[in-house]
Amino acid sequence: MTDSIGYLPEERGLHPKLTVFEQIIYLAELKGMSKKDANSALDYWLDRFKVTENKFKKIEKLSKGNQQKIQLIASIIHNPKLIILDEPFSGLDPINVEMLKDAVKDLNQQGSTIIFSTHRMEHVEELCEELCILDRGKQIVSGNIDQIKQDFGQKEIIIEGEHDISFIKDMPGVLEMKQVRHKSVIKIAEEKYAEEIYNRVTALGFFKRFQINEPSLNDIFISKVGRDYE
Amino acid sequence: MNKFMTTFNLTFFSKIKAKSFIFTTLIIIAGMFIAFNLDKIINLFNSDDEALMLEVDAEESFLTVFEPTLASFDDTIEIVDSDGSATLEIVSTEPLQAEIRMDEEISDTREQNIQLALNETNRAYVLQTLNLSEAEISQMYEEVPVDFLVASEEGSGGFEAADADETNILNMVIFYFSVILMFIILISYASQIATEIANEKSSRVIEMIVSSIRPTQHLMAKIFAMIAVSVLQIVLITIGGLIAFYFSDTTELLDQFGLEANDQTLKIIIYCIIFVILGLILYLSVSAMLGSFINRMEDLQQGLMPVTFLSMIGYFIALGGISFADNIAVTITSYFPFFTPFVMPLRLLVNDTGHAPMIIGIVIMIITIIITLLLAGYIYKRSVLSTESGIMKNIKRIRK
Repeated sequence: MTDSIGYLPEERGLHPKLTVFEQIIYLAELKGMSKKDANSALDYWLDRFKVTENKFKKIEKLSKGNQQKIQLIASIIHNPKLIILDEPFSGLDPINVEMLKDAVKDLNQQGSTIIFSTHRMEHVEELCEELCILDRGKQIVSGNIDQIKQDFGQKEIIIEGEHDISFIKDMPGVLEMKQVRHKSVIKIAEEKYAEEIYNRVTALGFFKRFQINEPSLNDIFISKVGRDYE
Repeated sequence: MNKFMTTFNLTFFSKIKAKSFIFTTLIIIAGMFIAFNLDKIINLFNSDDEALMLEVDAEESFLTVFEPTLASFDDTIEIVDSDGSATLEIVSTEPLQAEIRMDEEISDTREQNIQLALNETNRAYVLQTLNLSEAEISQMYEEVPVDFLVASEEGSGGFEAADADETNILNMVIFYFSVILMFIILISYASQIATEIANEKSSRVIEMIVSSIRPTQHLMAKIFAMIAVSVLQIVLITIGGLIAFYFSDTTELLDQFGLEANDQTLKIIIYCIIFVILGLILYLSVSAMLGSFINRMEDLQQGLMPVTFLSMIGYFIALGGISFADNIAVTITSYFPFFTPFVMPLRLLVNDTGHAPMIIGIVIMIITIIITLLLAGYIYKRSVLSTESGIMKNIKRIRK
């Protein structure tokens, strides 16, 4: 059964003295792959992650980002049906994050189920369909992300413009209003309060932007967990 | 290929390709080449090769006794009438007093041999002056005949002749060699296997490994791979030694040190090999188990202390017990499994040790090895992902 599971631990864990080739072939063989198939798959993934030149380098000589890529390759090289990724993007720059995200999406589209653990809610929003938030080992929220957002109720309005709209914070249904650079970000309890705000705002004249957003998972997390999360 | 063999092969081939394995094996084989040609090497540096020409300024009667006596002590000193590089002058005969004048310093060995020859010559002179007859002189030098008897086993109250054979020197050399080799290889490999296992824990690579292979299977593969590497090294050293022996002319060396096989030699070699291998398996299993308690590499040496101490005690008993191999303390300690591989072969040097104690020792070791491997697997499975360091903390956690 473990041959169908791929696991990427949170901490980087590879034999520092082995080369990339030796390490990946070993882990692939442990998953039931033949050396030949493992080598072909390794070449594919090294090329995809643009680290072909590292094939025969020792793990300890690689940067943290490259080690993370190698570790991800080790966890997916055998085309597992279930992939468990624990903080897969930690230590990666934005370009490499995008590269790995594409790979994860492709794997999912090819039929792999992915359990993805992270503290970065924006990655969850982008990649996941289902969500489970845990706090001290207890499940706080779980289910389909769209459903969770819908059930949460709150919406967010973003307004950009030159007119003074500070009166909005006293309007019914408004939970919070803050300035973020040139934008006003308003949290409302339900979507129905948005129409009144829209009418009052547009009556003032031209506004560059009036946007109603689903609540972010970040906000849902903070709201549900109830304290600053470290 | 099954998962056991995957881990076995990785560990085995990475170890035998390591520089430490290659260099250690070559150094030991080179040492054996040197040992088997020691006499020739000594002769290269020995200036005593060249005969010392000794002029003797003494009476003919003195020379008649002194010359053959000197030849029996040192055949590299030649007595000449003239042009000698050293001159021995007899200053007086009663008492005998001599002076040697040399062109250059001679070795301590030659000085000693000349001294001994003069002592013996003086003894002959004194005996002559005492007017002892030939028969009286022979009686003086006669060895006292002694019969060594031991109580016969039937308990009949009678005595039979004890085996008067001394410990065979070649057998002792074989025993020493096997004990020392086992100790060196054991300490090295015990440290290596504990390091491998502790390294996997501290580098967290074990988290990926146990998602693919059962921890017990992984541990056993590592242990057996290290055993295979150590046995391979012993085999290579043995083959190297045999080649060194075959290509070296060891006749003179064996004669010089009195190395001669007897009917016990083959038995000693076989049992030494068996106990070396069993000793390695036992200690490597224990080291693997101790390695699974270690979480940080800095704690490695401390974690391996039990193995270090046990092997050192066994080693010192074996080396120190050579002069009392039939002592009860040696007999008792030879049955303690961690001392058995060191001490049991020692008992073979006592000529009346049969096969029974050896077989018992082997059985004890096999049982201990099986128990140790089972325990190691049990402990490893429960501590492999533990982040606590130290034996006691881990044992408490496992028992919960």
